[in-house]
Amino acid sequence: MDVILGTPAYLPRTRLPYLFTALQAAGRRIIGPTISDGAIIYDEIRGVEDLPRGWADQQSAGHYRLVPGNADRYFGYVVGPTSFKRFTFPPTVPLWRARREGSEVTTEAIEPEAPALAFLGVRGCELAAIGVQDRVLRDGFVADPDYAARRAAIFIVAVQCTVSASTCFCTSMGTGPEVTTGYDIALTELNDGYLVEAGSEAGRRLMDTLPLTPAESVQQDEAKESVAAVRRTIGDPVAVEGLPARLLARLDDAGWAAVAERCLGCTNCTLVCPTCFCTSVGQVSDLDGTDSIAERTWDSCFSPTFARVAGGDFRPRLQDRYRQWLTHKFSTWVDQFGSFGCVGCGRCVTWCPVGIDVREELARIAPVETVAPVVAGETIQRPVAVPAAPPAPIALPVVGSTVSADFSRATVTRIKPETVDTYTLHLTDLDPRLLATQPGQFVMVEQPAFPPVPISVSRIGPSGIELTVRAAGPATKAITMLAPGDQVSLRGPLGRGWPLAELDGRDVILVAGGLGLAPLRPLVEAVLARLVPSQKVRLYLGARTPADRLFVADAAAWARTAGVDFEETVDRAGSDWTGRVGIVTHLFDEAEWDGRDAIAFVCGPERMMQAVAATLTRRGVTPEHTWLTMERHMECGIGLCGHCQLGRVFVCRDGPVFSVAELGDAFGQEGL
Amino acid sequence: MGRESRRADVRVGVARFTSCGGCQLTLVGLHDALLALFERVSIVEFAEVLSPRSGGPYDVLLVEGSVATPDQARRIVELRRQARALVVIGACATTGGIQALRNWADGDAWRAAVYPNPEFVAALPTSTPIADHVHVDAELRGCPIDPGQLKEVLTAVLVGRRPQLAETAVCAECKRRGTPCLLVDRGLPCLGPVTQAGCGAICPAFGRACYGCFGPVATPNVAALRAQLAGQGRSDEELGRLFAGFTANAPAFRAVAQPPEHNE
Repeated sequence: MDVILGTPAYLPRTRLPYLFTALQAAGRRIIGPTISDGAIIYDEIRGVEDLPRGWADQQSAGHYRLVPGNADRYFGYVVGPTSFKRFTFPPTVPLWRARREGSEVTTEAIEPEAPALAFLGVRGCELAAIGVQDRVLRDGFVADPDYAARRAAIFIVAVQCTVSASTCFCTSMGTGPEVTTGYDIALTELNDGYLVEAGSEAGRRLMDTLPLTPAESVQQDEAKESVAAVRRTIGDPVAVEGLPARLLARLDDAGWAAVAERCLGCTNCTLVCPTCFCTSVGQVSDLDGTDSIAERTWDSCFSPTFARVAGGDFRPRLQDRYRQWLTHKFSTWVDQFGSFGCVGCGRCVTWCPVGIDVREELARIAPVETVAPVVAGETIQRPVAVPAAPPAPIALPVVGSTVSADFSRATVTRIKPETVDTYTLHLTDLDPRLLATQPGQFVMVEQPAFPPVPISVSRIGPSGIELTVRAAGPATKAITMLAPGDQVSLRGPLGRGWPLAELDGRDVILVAGGLGLAPLRPLVEAVLARLVPSQKVRLYLGARTPADRLFVADAAAWARTAGVDFEETVDRAGSDWTGRVGIVTHLFDEAEWDGRDAIAFVCGPERMMQAVAATLTRRGVTPEHTWLTMERHMECGIGLCGHCQLGRVFVCRDGPVFSVAELGDAFGQEGL
Repeated sequence: MGRESRRADVRVGVARFTSCGGCQLTLVGLHDALLALFERVSIVEFAEVLSPRSGGPYDVLLVEGSVATPDQARRIVELRRQARALVVIGACATTGGIQALRNWADGDAWRAAVYPNPEFVAALPTSTPIADHVHVDAELRGCPIDPGQLKEVLTAVLVGRRPQLAETAVCAECKRRGTPCLLVDRGLPCLGPVTQAGCGAICPAFGRACYGCFGPVATPNVAALRAQLAGQGRSDEELGRLFAGFTANAPAFRAVAQPPEHNE
């Protein structure tokens, strides 16, 4: 029969094998539900005999059991521990191969595999989850080539939910139970067969090859009613109205510590989640370290190493990790990608070994009444500080013009020691895009066998750039031990730099602590190059000891420049130091200037930046004009691996430079 | 980064303390990778494999086994002095091993019960991890260790990078493997959520609950897991025994472990 898109047809259950044959004839392997290890998982299936006919799944928080269900039904279960992301976003994927021969380095991306697959049995929530991952990994800032290739090769056979579990909350998240869009064909399981609907041209063509009959209206009514019954059963368990703001208002809630008492930090919730996309990159290398493959592996914000950097861990406590996960799913994801990160499938509830239920935690930590408007004369039971001002919007850098996600090579031409453990590498033979690096941007330095390291660009010249690197660990040490003539592989320029457009003739305050001077140096040079007579530049530098000062010759030249007020201090001095001693804010605690029309740029350890920002505020510099560069664990540099999140921002993608106004409550928040 | 100098003679030794020897044999089990390794390092001390014995100094010394005798307590200090990098391998070396169950017992009474002439047996009352005696540079967990992790740590030493050793719970490896959670779908008492990964989640993949041979993760919430298992109707006795396995003496497990003989 001739099927028009959207016109339902009927396939008797006995003829379901024809669907398998048709998909296989189209050259597709079928991924669908099958029983393994006591659960209904998704794996390759070859025919109806692999389907979990007659089985249902009984689910509650921390509990899953297969139980006999309607004996005839193939799709009488809800969702199991697997999600289809296993096939669009596999647990381990090789990304690139890096080789060093003598001083030459080559880095080449590994071609993605994209098998032609058909997903069978995709539920409403799962279709929504695929949509969420599409927005993150395919349609976002930089597309992940592996995901995009795999995703393009998928044919989707959706199945309407005619049963639900106690853990389901798709109705609240607006993702189900009805399958409404994003599929090629959709089935609704009826007593004796399936209502079949096409959702795409490809689906319509497939339907042409099936032995269908026109669907009778009674069959259509039965299909509608069975899905509607599921909606009624689930109800509306999560109050999503205003949820993002409610959660952000509760960053200091005692509930985080309470849930951390129960949380195992085991990562199960994130790895069964069909939308979680955080990964880490590992290096598989030969014994010489000259040939290696970078592999991307599923990771989790609950991993102990996830937010770790050379200097420590940004989320050391379980409560920090739980808060990151829950606030990301239900709040900051909306800022980042325009939808919730949760689709209400309930997997995290069922598969939490101790049965922590996100629905209960949301209700406990962010109850609806917390943002109820204050009515005059009425007492609110739990008054809560809503963020004073919503954080300022952030303009992303533009991929292709100011940001390059591609690998390129450069040659080390000079290496200059700055301090006992810090060196400046001068790089030439660059990709022209790197010569257009903006002050404040960074590059990922990729060496065979070593993890990629983000390094801010410390000078941008006409024919080369400089990177100033402290040997904080083995990977950075290896960079400082490169010799002139050696090549390095780089990805960049990356991130959003200092907002030079905001200078606008304003007085400029520059404050650096230690290695924080590195990303500030190109800014200082840019500021001085366009200095106008009416403009004042105040430069305050801090270092641990006199021997830890960077760019001493440059600093001396800046100090001599007309219009520049230059002061520096050290935390600890030797007998030959005659300058100031103490923390950097002491340099302008008693200064005379008024900061109301000034713009400030600050870089250093986070605690130092907090102290500086507070002092600047007291001197009248506005949060909109106080700019910082933030440090977080970065692996990909392009907003795909998830490591560098700080509240609603990805430090690598949206920053690393931010104004205090943009960061809002996220700045100075412990454990974020 | 001294790429040429890497080929210099790297002296690797293997030392054994109280253990079964299975972990050091993992080195032999590396097969082809071992041959490649032999081209780049000199194995100067490996009593189970090589007849010639030359002793220290060592660039890398792999130490297997726990400290269980007064003599071993002296010897590990001497070996540490000879080793640039000391890597402890296996549950015995990293936690004290199964033999650390003696730490719950009256050692003299046991010795008297087992040996006809207990006075000839010089044993400490406890079995303790190497790190209780000397500084260790890296540790490979497990009973036995994972060959992939052993290869990784040796590669990392040769390349000069930090070894990439998993610090997540075993659960992460079950999920990547696609093994449904045994705690949730069968109600088995699995220690995976508090146990460090690195084994590849072998046991759960075969339907066997994790018994914690890799020892606790860095921040284990043992109390919460124990409470959950207790809530499913398990007795204190059963729970005490659950943690009294190959890594019973690891502090996080020791606090709740109770070997069976001592449940009065």
